[in-house]
Amino acid sequence: MSSRVLSFSLRLAGTFAAQEDCFLYLQQGELLLGLFGEGGPQCWAAWSVPTVRSGWIQGLRSLAQHPCALHFLADSGAVDTIFSLQGDPSLFVASAASQLLVHTLALSMQAGATGCSGLWDGVWPACAQKIMGHLEESLQSTAAPQVTQALNVLTSTFGRCHSPWTETLWGQLCPLVARLLERTPIPAAHSLVDLLLSVARSPALSSSHGRLWEAVAQALRCLSPMQAGSLALGMLKLPHCPQALRVQAFGVLLQPLACVVKATAQAPGPPGCSMWPPGWLDGAEGSSLTVDTLLSSKSACVGILCQTLAQLEELQPLPQRPAPWPQEPLLGAAVTILRLCHGSATSSSSGGGRLCATLAGCVRVQRAALDFLGTLSQETRSQELEKEVFAVLSEYLGSPDSSPTVLKKAFQTTLRWLLSSPRTPGCPDLGPQPLLFLRELFPVLQKRLCSPSWEVRDSVLEFLTQLSRHWGGQADFRRALLASEVPTLTQQLLQDPESYVRASAVAAAGQLSSRGLQAAPDSPEHPQAQQGLLGELLCILSTDSEGFPRRAVVQVFTEWLRDGHADVARDTEWFIATVLQVVSQDLDWEVRVQGLELAQVFLVQRLGQPRCPYMVALPEAASATPIPEVLQSLCRLRLFDFAFRALLDCDRPVAQKACELLLFLKDKTAMCGGLQEAGDIPGSASGQVTLQRWRAGEQGQLPGDLQPEAMLALLRSTDLEGLQARLAQSSDHMEKSPQSLLQDMLATVGVLGENEADCY
Amino acid sequence: MLDCGMHMGFNDDRRFPDFSYITQNGRLTDFLDCVIISHFHLDHCGALPYFSEMVGYDGPIYMTHPTQAICPILLEDYRKIAVDKKGEANFFTSQMIKDCMKKVVAVHLHQTVQVDDELEIKAYYAGHVLGAAMFQIKVGSESVVYTGDYNMTPDRHLGAAWIDRCRPNLLITESTYATTIRDSKRCRERDFLKKVHETVERGGKVLIPVFALGRAQELCILLETFWERMNLKVPIYFSTGLTEKANHYYKLFITWTNQKIRKTFVQRNMFEFKHIKAFDRAFADNPGPMVVFATPGMLHAGQSLQIFRKWAGNEKNMVIMPGYCVQGTVGHKILSGQRKLEMEGRQVLEVKMQVEYMSFSAHADAKGIMQLVGQAEPENVLLVHGEAKKMEFLRQKIEQEFRVSCYMPANGETVTLPTSPNIPVGISLGLLKREMAQGLLPETKKPRLLHGTLIMKDSNLRLVSSEQALKELGLAEHQLRFTCRVHLQDTRKEQETALRVYSHLKSTLKDHCVQHLPDGSVTVESILIQAAAHSEDPGTKVLLVSWTYQDEELGSFLTALLKKGLPQAPS
Repeated sequence: MSSRVLSFSLRLAGTFAAQEDCFLYLQQGELLLGLFGEGGPQCWAAWSVPTVRSGWIQGLRSLAQHPCALHFLADSGAVDTIFSLQGDPSLFVASAASQLLVHTLALSMQAGATGCSGLWDGVWPACAQKIMGHLEESLQSTAAPQVTQALNVLTSTFGRCHSPWTETLWGQLCPLVARLLERTPIPAAHSLVDLLLSVARSPALSSSHGRLWEAVAQALRCLSPMQAGSLALGMLKLPHCPQALRVQAFGVLLQPLACVVKATAQAPGPPGCSMWPPGWLDGAEGSSLTVDTLLSSKSACVGILCQTLAQLEELQPLPQRPAPWPQEPLLGAAVTILRLCHGSATSSSSGGGRLCATLAGCVRVQRAALDFLGTLSQETRSQELEKEVFAVLSEYLGSPDSSPTVLKKAFQTTLRWLLSSPRTPGCPDLGPQPLLFLRELFPVLQKRLCSPSWEVRDSVLEFLTQLSRHWGGQADFRRALLASEVPTLTQQLLQDPESYVRASAVAAAGQLSSRGLQAAPDSPEHPQAQQGLLGELLCILSTDSEGFPRRAVVQVFTEWLRDGHADVARDTEWFIATVLQVVSQDLDWEVRVQGLELAQVFLVQRLGQPRCPYMVALPEAASATPIPEVLQSLCRLRLFDFAFRALLDCDRPVAQKACELLLFLKDKTAMCGGLQEAGDIPGSASGQVTLQRWRAGEQGQLPGDLQPEAMLALLRSTDLEGLQARLAQSSDHMEKSPQSLLQDMLATVGVLGENEADCY
Repeated sequence: MLDCGMHMGFNDDRRFPDFSYITQNGRLTDFLDCVIISHFHLDHCGALPYFSEMVGYDGPIYMTHPTQAICPILLEDYRKIAVDKKGEANFFTSQMIKDCMKKVVAVHLHQTVQVDDELEIKAYYAGHVLGAAMFQIKVGSESVVYTGDYNMTPDRHLGAAWIDRCRPNLLITESTYATTIRDSKRCRERDFLKKVHETVERGGKVLIPVFALGRAQELCILLETFWERMNLKVPIYFSTGLTEKANHYYKLFITWTNQKIRKTFVQRNMFEFKHIKAFDRAFADNPGPMVVFATPGMLHAGQSLQIFRKWAGNEKNMVIMPGYCVQGTVGHKILSGQRKLEMEGRQVLEVKMQVEYMSFSAHADAKGIMQLVGQAEPENVLLVHGEAKKMEFLRQKIEQEFRVSCYMPANGETVTLPTSPNIPVGISLGLLKREMAQGLLPETKKPRLLHGTLIMKDSNLRLVSSEQALKELGLAEHQLRFTCRVHLQDTRKEQETALRVYSHLKSTLKDHCVQHLPDGSVTVESILIQAAAHSEDPGTKVLLVSWTYQDEELGSFLTALLKKGLPQAPS
């Protein structure tokens, strides 16, 4: 028998045996014992195939649903096989075995507690006892893999089961776990951390936390800084961690940064470095261990710094983070690390010198430190430190050594610092630091926009778009921007060879233009410059061979329409008609969807917001233009035509969006117009026929030049709601239907075998 | 991490790898130094944006220049199909693909790239598709070669894979065609052309669903040449936009194509076709024969499916599937012989057109895989990307022929390989100088032993002189002396015996410095000889010979010499 069929049979038998009556029936025929019992598959040659072992364990997992199954597991010797499968060479089998043990333990305890009171009487049922014994034995084993397996089972158990018996379980095993911490080296440290956290999070164990905290405190002292870091972060996230432990845990997280700052401090020291909050770093036993790790090798140093920075970044926004938050020293540390990586920090101490050499040019630490620095922008800061931050960001943005990925992060961090920079109340101007920084920024942007790396050009354009979206109205910003070449360069990048960059340039130029920050024309006050951008964007929309720039253009146009951009407002109808005409021919369905979005914004402007079903009906005063007039213009602009054509689109999202738009229109026009039936109006009948034929799987063309009446009639007589429901179903429902599945199964038996090899 | 692909057969969680097996609770970036992508096929790079932008890997990604250029196109295609057809909302976006591509570091063939202080990688040409590469990964003296997918025979547009005799500790090779010795490709091509020709001759239409780049270009070259030779006028179309794009990339990366294309490129670009024109949706309804290449390749959505629906009802027409189709797709259904397909909207589509399957996929066959193993001369081989039964066959063959261990782990299985790494040891200049001073320059054929003290400090090893080692480690020196007693029959006084010993040694050991010290003892180099009276027998003198560890040889020699007795003094 093929191993795949055998594996399937095992799973199938398990599925059947999940029902108690079915189980009894199969057991009578001794089938279960043959498949899952001691003398079963382990004796087969196929047992060496991982699929068979996996099938066996999945079968058992399905079967283990009722008390009969538990007896079977304990008596048939299956549990012992599960124990041995925990160490299986296949990751999947080993993991499934552990999960099955957790499930069996829980099921067994649940079955034991189903007395009249439903409470546990303190006696371990046979199956649970067996598992407990195995766990205790494993925890005392000298073989690390066995300890890991036991710890993993316990972690899952405490994570999943919150019944009172788990407390007794912990009480029994806690001393064994604590003993693990006394060994050198500590075995399975990673799993041990997971277990301690899982127990700490369990709501069922609140009364036995005393011993847990002791174990955690000990672990924080003895584990390596990398492992202790994960435990410390987990502890700090707990809502009910004792204060002393929080102090110890935070100390563990701060230690590596404090070491870096200490090692590089020049007397009297840069700002912030000696201002660690009192208490946090007192008695941190791990200190020398941390220093050793930091200085032992480059990979260890990079590893611990990256981890610590990421952990502090994760902690910073949480409400339960330690208070007072040492913002200033952390900022100082982040800046120091960035300087060390950049080579602009020096140190006379030997440790500092080693750190300089280790971190110089290290991209991984640079990225982590920049991310962390970005997070710190959300806090209050002193002017002096803000100056430091902007200085280091300047170094990074301007340095020719910064890699594209580092530059991208530097731009993101800069944006966060600029946007969160405090303003003087009542004064619209920027603070002194951002202002100084802006003056240096634009020449850098100018240089970076000409970078040979597309990643850099793109990141700058993304940064520029974001910044002008927020600061477009800022006088200082406008002055600095307009005094630079940046707007001109942005416009030039509309012709970039890289499509991603063209798309970002479209977004940036669109944003600058809507803020009146476009490139200065040759002669001032020249209206051609503006017209130029609109023309250029239209040209991109109709000729660019890539989808991204075309999509970006329609997005910019939609934004312009929404914001009442001067060029659009000058002749909105011409604008809409032109854009829709180009968009309707586009091969990229996302461009067509965005075209429909543009049409919808236009309709909302003309007809008012869609009715909210929960809103008290208000008189239709919102609609500025009378409906017949709007309908006329819609016909003129061929917007109806565009939307109906989109309804027939072979790409589902386009049809869906068109349906949404037409439903909105139908709703708005429900109260208006004549009572003519669809069949009476020229054009609408053939439109109907087309729609019907389309539904039957054929393609067709709508008759052109429909009049408003015909459109209204077509709109009313089309089952848009039904169509919307059909479109909302993904095409998977076809593939997932039992019919389709059966056909595939039957087919696989036959012809396909030969072809399978040609995968990809 | 080598490759980051997806399973095209699944639409749920199973489509992407379960990365939690790598990290458990930690962050991916802490566990991985880099990701290496071998080529642009989705089963090798399809999960990349999910991995880097949704799961949170933030490190570098390495791939070749053509892969870097083409990968985002395929990812974007795939994304659009997933969102369009399946209506998936929680999927990676275009922005995520872009952000992911920004993390890519492109590499050249045969360029050694230093990932960090310890890890270096190097790409080799793999054939298979444009830009496909095999990677050698090296840490210290240990190395692994990962082949990705490769092809050992050149085809119409690509060359054959090639690798150095780099003798890696481990070669991880694909084994798609592990047991097959592929029939000649020419036969398959002839068969393909015959089928297409027959169909258009009888007025039928031929649909060839393809993916934008790769096999499609090869088939285009094939048809173009055939049309030219047979002077055929039937139109051939290729999905709009894609021809230009494909051409653009083949032109850009012309060095990655085979020699013939590179040579002829000077006169005529082989990818600028005379007979193949851009396709317009309206053409599908045109009467008369035609050949259309349309995307996507598995008939699961888009243009190819649309055309298929139109043409399926006519028995004169033909659809040729040039590649594998995953379960659930229309392509899979028709290949498995279904003739009535349930389409969306509860309609049933009756398939009367002819359905043909032809494999043009470019993987190495068993012979090719053996050839590569022979080229690279690995210490161990690991088979992946194949079926267990076939791999078992190949495994035995490799073990027999090359006498190396060959493994074929199932998914999730761990393989442990013993290696004997070379550990570099630095030798101190002082030690070398001292060796030099002793004369005798070492010869390559005649190795010489060098004595010193091995110090492991700051995770590197150095061989230094013992004095320097003591100094560096701050240890005090302890001298170990061996002492031996030699009994001599001599009735004279101790001083006289010593003098006799001195004259004897002086005359015997011409090359050594023999001294008679004022206290009566005799030295030869570091060896000290003292004469003493025997406590019980006045006619016997005891010579105490003591030497240091370093002069062990001389010490033993002297002891042996003295044991023979002294020459009789001239009376």
